[in-house]
Amino acid sequence: MIDLQRVCYVRLGTRDLEGATRFATDVLGLEIGEVAKDTVYFKSDEREHTLCYVEGDPRDQAVAFEVGSRAALAAAAGELERLGHAVHAGTAGEAEARKVREFIAFADPSGNRIELVWRPGHSGVRYHGTRDAGITGFSHVGLCTTDAARDEAFWTRVCNARVSDRVGDAPLLRINEVHHSIALFPTDRAGIQHINHQVESADDVMRSYRFLSERQVRIVFGPGRHPSSSAKFLYFEGPDGMVFEYSSGVKMIADELLYRERQLSFDPRGFCEWGAKPDVAEFRN
Amino acid sequence: MIEIEQLRYVRLGTRNLPAAIDFAQRILGLQLIERTEEQATFRSDFRDHTLVYEAGDPATQSIGLEVRTRAALERAVAALAANGITATPGDAAALARRKARDMASFRDHSGNRFELVVRPETSGWRYFPARDAGVTGLAAVALRTTANGDDEALWTTLFNGRVSDWVGDAAFIRFDDAHHRLALHPSARAGVLAIEYAVEGLNQVMQASYFLQSAQVKIVHGPGRRPSSDQIFLTFAGPDDMLFSYVAEGARIADESAHRPRQFPRKRESFCAWGSESTVPEFAVSEN
Repeated sequence: MIDLQRVCYVRLGTRDLEGATRFATDVLGLEIGEVAKDTVYFKSDEREHTLCYVEGDPRDQAVAFEVGSRAALAAAAGELERLGHAVHAGTAGEAEARKVREFIAFADPSGNRIELVWRPGHSGVRYHGTRDAGITGFSHVGLCTTDAARDEAFWTRVCNARVSDRVGDAPLLRINEVHHSIALFPTDRAGIQHINHQVESADDVMRSYRFLSERQVRIVFGPGRHPSSSAKFLYFEGPDGMVFEYSSGVKMIADELLYRERQLSFDPRGFCEWGAKPDVAEFRN
Repeated sequence: MIEIEQLRYVRLGTRNLPAAIDFAQRILGLQLIERTEEQATFRSDFRDHTLVYEAGDPATQSIGLEVRTRAALERAVAALAANGITATPGDAAALARRKARDMASFRDHSGNRFELVVRPETSGWRYFPARDAGVTGLAAVALRTTANGDDEALWTTLFNGRVSDWVGDAAFIRFDDAHHRLALHPSARAGVLAIEYAVEGLNQVMQASYFLQSAQVKIVHGPGRRPSSDQIFLTFAGPDDMLFSYVAEGARIADESAHRPRQFPRKRESFCAWGSESTVPEFAVSEN
């Protein structure tokens, strides 16, 4: 069992690093942590970085999860190889570029690139956003799946994820007390489906709704509230068609024994209890 | 000083009573209590009714405020007279229509009509509407004023009104621990600007925003949050150009001695902390 502790960062390729940086700071409200050759790192919380844009192909996307020890990392590599996943052991240079001590990379059954990292860098300086979006931190990713049942089995049996709820066949998976850190959405491709940052309050969600609307950022879903996690949300489009989400008030599941996952309908009512209708391909039939 | 006990109701004239009834029930989510040829009354809470549509001129509007006793009513009439305002007692028919024991009506300096009522009825049966809008009760009335300072002074000197905040010269006046029950907005004319119903919370306000859009009701302001009262609000247009708002959350002023009225600038941000804009002249601010 691979014990994932928390979601760490997302790495995204882009052909327009300058444009992506402008979006991440002026629109999304992240703080530039570091500008390196071909790479810009962004802070959203107490960590050194939670998002980075790398000059390159927008299809090059990776999401990283933290494991607890070097031994756990080695055991994970062994387990994945045993199951037939090709495992890449990160070089020292690659680890440095990710601000971690060690990492391995592999593809999940749908082909999403996953990195398992040990000792990701914490920042001594608190996050101070470029704009007051009220961001409290990077919180979860939506991943594309070409077979939801198969991938749910991978994340819940090979890894330690538990199903918190399902919207249609899409499982929302927790790896700690947060309702979900990974959500799998059935589609015909691999890739990161959306990137979530938590904000302080519903006020921040609504303020951003006006802020983004006025700047002609395409709002693709919301403002709304998920019946699953009970979070108030807003989805909008960033560079290279990537969907970003702000949300506030995600449910915490403290008592594993008392909690039971629920089945929600794969329609607008299953995604939003306020009445918003999604304009996101993976949220529609 | 005369104690206003409660904001009780708003009476509105309309040329199209059936359309107004349809709006109040199906859109606003109130419960129809009584309907005659002349008027229809609607419940929103423990009060027998808080909204009345009567057949007639839409310019005929009045706001019902409760005073506790006949003696208080008589003192109010005398105090108004001493300030040059004539208050007229209501006849038996008017009292029956209002389900009150006593009443006197008067106009403020702008010409807005108020009714002071004694012992208006409370319902023993709870409010049960056709649509689940989550309404918890009549919360406030926003009025236009052409004599802002004088109208404000009327409520704060003759009556127990206190100014909670100002936005520009618009005054938010409270009579109890709610941030405001009357809001006076400087305008070119008199009249009721908006009738505000409290709903349970953010969910109901946001659900209403999608519901009203799908029902093709014109939303004129919000969803938003007022920096003054801290209320979440959504304002939309009803029959005869009357505005209605749903409001939720909001500050309570429990400690009178601790509250100081604040002056907010007359800016868009002072009306909405979420950034919503309005074309309603009383809330519209030209950015310069």
